[in-house]
Amino acid sequence: MPDPLRVLIIVPAFNEARNLPGLLRALREVSPRSDICVVDDGSTDDTARVAREGGATVLRCPVNLGIGGAVQAGYLWARDHGYDAAVQIDGDGQHDPAYIAGAIRPIAEGRADLVIGSRFLVEGGFRSTFLRRAGIRYLSGFLRLRCGARTTDPTSGFRAAGRKAIELFSGWYPSDYPEPEAIAFATRNHLRLLEVPVHMTERLHGRSTINLWRSFYYLIKVSFALVLLPRRPDLLALNPPPPERAG
Amino acid sequence: MSGDLLSPHMRVFAIAVLLVFLGWVMSLVRHHRLSLRDSLLWLISTLAALAVAVFPRLLVWTARALQIEVPANALFTLSFLYVLVNLLSITLAVSSGSARVRRLTQECALLRAELERLKAQPAPPAGGGGR
Repeated sequence: MPDPLRVLIIVPAFNEARNLPGLLRALREVSPRSDICVVDDGSTDDTARVAREGGATVLRCPVNLGIGGAVQAGYLWARDHGYDAAVQIDGDGQHDPAYIAGAIRPIAEGRADLVIGSRFLVEGGFRSTFLRRAGIRYLSGFLRLRCGARTTDPTSGFRAAGRKAIELFSGWYPSDYPEPEAIAFATRNHLRLLEVPVHMTERLHGRSTINLWRSFYYLIKVSFALVLLPRRPDLLALNPPPPERAG
Repeated sequence: MSGDLLSPHMRVFAIAVLLVFLGWVMSLVRHHRLSLRDSLLWLISTLAALAVAVFPRLLVWTARALQIEVPANALFTLSFLYVLVNLLSITLAVSSGSARVRRLTQECALLRAELERLKAQPAPPAGGGGR
């Protein structure tokens, strides 16, 4: 392999002070050379302090943006600081950090621009309820029909992005259940997509933000988003690259 | 003929309401509580409504053009459109506003992190800066 990539690990976190220390420790262990960037999405607990003590750069959003806005803040940081790859991993500890290396490899080898971690490519692990799996299958079929993106786990929040994807997501990123839409947006912009296995567990502390009603809203919203999917080059103008802020 | 359409009482009432509304919007703009840009659609559409109240014949012509039998129904259709267009323009403004808020919030978070990073570094030598 040529020069190792400069990798930023983006951890969106909203009130995750209890889950973060363990996660950050595990991240340091499995990829000691990567930088970690915790996006504190307007938490009311100690998330920012805990993240800083865990050795992460903390992006503190003064108001809650939701997962899409938080993740995009991470991509903006990655772009502005010239990272070669950015890995997105949920702050609730449901993604096993050991799979990060496997997600970065296709990017390092130039085989993909965006890598999705799929829980359905590993044996065992947390697979969610039957209904939710049905929803996931529906979304993955929809994505394939709409823009030819092949993915078994389009709602997965475990991703690795190469330079092109970082640039693209810095310019525009969906809000409000952004994961499937981000895949569609990436494929529409000719990024190469690849899936790797990731082991998922149920979150340790706190409750997931997704219940039955929200799942329903999720499906409706994402379906509309996929139907209305534009090419959106105009939106890239909202976040022009900075003239000089690399460092 | 136009008298059958709107009674004089009704017309006076409509004109008065529209004038008060127009005055209200204009005073909001003058006191910088409403930007002229955002108020423009309200001003234009309210002036159009005022034109219909002053010259009910406009309504009859419109009804005939749209092949609506009862001109009063043309009035309802038009007033519904009036609300719809203004509502959509508000939703547009809210959407673009929240996209900007999101972007500004992110910028704020990024700058905070840069600031923390600078503070953590040892102070640069006095008078330095250029290389």
